[in-house]
Amino acid sequence: MVGLSAGEKNFIRGGIEQDLRADGRQRQDFRPILIETGVIPQANGSARVRFGATDVIASVKAELGKPNPLQPGRGKVAIYVDCSPTAAPAFERGGGEELSTELSAALQKCLLGGKSGAGAGIDLSSLMVLEGKVCWDLYIDGLVVSSDGNLLDALAAAIKAALTNTGIPKVDVGVGASPDEQPEVNISDEEFLQFDTSAVPVIITLTKVGREYIVDATSDEESQMSSAVSVSVNSHGKVCGLIKRGGAGLDASVILDMVSAARHVSQKLIPLLDSEIDAAEAASLAGQGSDVDP
Amino acid sequence: MEYVKLSGFRLDGRRPTEMRHIHAEVGAVANADGSASFEMGNTKVIAAVYGPKEVENKGQQIGNKALVRCEYSMANFSTGDRARRPKGDRRSTELSLVIRQTMEACILTHLMPRSQIDIYVQVLQADGGTRSACINAATLALADAGIPMCDLVTSCAAGYLNSTPLLDLNYLEDSAGGPDVTVGLLSKLDKVTLLQMDAKLPLDIFENVMQLAIEGCKAIANLIRQVLLENTKKLEYLRGT
Repeated sequence: MVGLSAGEKNFIRGGIEQDLRADGRQRQDFRPILIETGVIPQANGSARVRFGATDVIASVKAELGKPNPLQPGRGKVAIYVDCSPTAAPAFERGGGEELSTELSAALQKCLLGGKSGAGAGIDLSSLMVLEGKVCWDLYIDGLVVSSDGNLLDALAAAIKAALTNTGIPKVDVGVGASPDEQPEVNISDEEFLQFDTSAVPVIITLTKVGREYIVDATSDEESQMSSAVSVSVNSHGKVCGLIKRGGAGLDASVILDMVSAARHVSQKLIPLLDSEIDAAEAASLAGQGSDVDP
Repeated sequence: MEYVKLSGFRLDGRRPTEMRHIHAEVGAVANADGSASFEMGNTKVIAAVYGPKEVENKGQQIGNKALVRCEYSMANFSTGDRARRPKGDRRSTELSLVIRQTMEACILTHLMPRSQIDIYVQVLQADGGTRSACINAATLALADAGIPMCDLVTSCAAGYLNSTPLLDLNYLEDSAGGPDVTVGLLSKLDKVTLLQMDAKLPLDIFENVMQLAIEGCKAIANLIRQVLLENTKKLEYLRGT
C-alpha cells in the first residue's frame, strides 16, 4: 500500500468531518456500481461487480452431493474467497490468505446464517433433490481482482448477482431404487431452476474515521479507520449478521447508531442493486442472443 | 475420436488454421501500473504489472538490470469441475517460470538497474492455451505500464491431430494426447523466444506445425498492436490534444 503523507491524512479526515470526501461523495454515498452477469460461462452462475476501482468476481457452481445426515432436508452451501495477486503485490505467494479467510468467514456468517442454516439468505430446502439422499452442493467462489477498499460489500453484492444469474439443472430421480442404494439421477440440460434471491441480504460496512462513520470506504480512507462494523441487512430491513473489525473499542450506543444507519442506507442500496442486476441480466441475455445470430 | 471432420471442420466449427475469437483489452485492474485482459474463445486471463519499483527483498537485487518476477494463479472456478487448488503447486510454478523467462527476453532490463517488475497473471477461465493467453496478456499489461521492451512478444499454440496441423487448440483437442507446440515470438525481430512441445512428431511435420504457430503469433501481434493503438488514441483524445 502506498503510504500517505500527513497532509493527505488530514485532508481525508477533515473531508469526512465536513461531509465532503476526497472524491466528492458524502458520508453515506456509494461509488458508482457496475454489474455484469454471466462472465464465467463454465459456472452455473457468475457476476462481476465493480465499486469504483474495487473489482470482484463471484461464481456459483452446483454439484450433486449427499446431504448432512443431521439435516436431511437441506442442501449445502460453501463460500470461499480468494485474493488474486493482481489486486495487490502483497497478496502473492499466499500473502492474501489471511484476508481471504477473514472475508470468507464474514460472508458465511452474514449470508448463510447460523450452523443449522436457519436465517440463511438462500432457501436451503430448495436445494433438496431427494430427502436424505441427494442434494445440490453450492460452491460460491469469490475472487478479488482489484482492491480499493470495501471488499466485503462488493463481494456480497457480487454473490447476490451471481445467485440471481444461477440456473440449477432440473433433476429427475430414478424410481424403483431400494431405500439403501444411492438412487439414479437424471440431470436435465434444458430445464433450469432459478433462485429467488430477494431474501439474500446485502452487506453494508460502516467505517469509523474520527468521530464520523462512512459507507463504501476507499483503501485510503480505510487506512485512517479506527474500527468498522459490517451489517448484513435484507430487503425487509432486518439485520441478518454483524461483524466488527478494527482494534479500537466502540461505545455500544454508537454501534446501535451505526446499525440503524446501515439499515437506512440499505433501503437505498437494495433497490439500486436489484435494478442493476436486472439490467445486467437483460444485457447478458441479449448478448447470448446476438452470439447466435451470425 | 475424430477431431477434424471429413468436411474439414474441427469440433468447434473452426477450420484447421483458424484461431478462436480473440478479445483483448487494456486496463482491467484499476490500481495496477499496467493491466490487461485477454480472451481466446473461452480462455480468459487477466494480467497486472506493478513496477518498475524498489526491490523489496534486497538480497534479490541485481546491480546492472531489473529483477522480473511473475506469479501465475488459477481461480477456483476456472476449470470445468471445481477444485480448490493450493497456491504454488508445480504446474503453476512451472508456468510462472516460463512466463517470466519469456517476458524477460523482451524487457530492456538493463535500463532499469536495481529495480523490480512484478507480473501477475490470473486465469479466470481455462479452455486450452492458457500458457499462450497469459503471455499475450502479460505483453499487453507491460506495454500499458510503459515498460521499455525491444518488441512485443506474443504466443500461440498449434497441434497435430488426425494428420492435420491445427492452430490454437482448445481444451478438448489439447487433452487428445497429440503434440502441442507452444511458440513465443518476437514478431518484428522474427525471433522465437519460447518453444515447448510434448509428445513426438516427425521433423518435417514439426516444421509445418511450428510454422503454423508462428503465423498465429504474428496474427496475434497485429491484433495486440491494434489494441494498443486504439488505447493510445483514446488516451490522446481524453487529453484533448
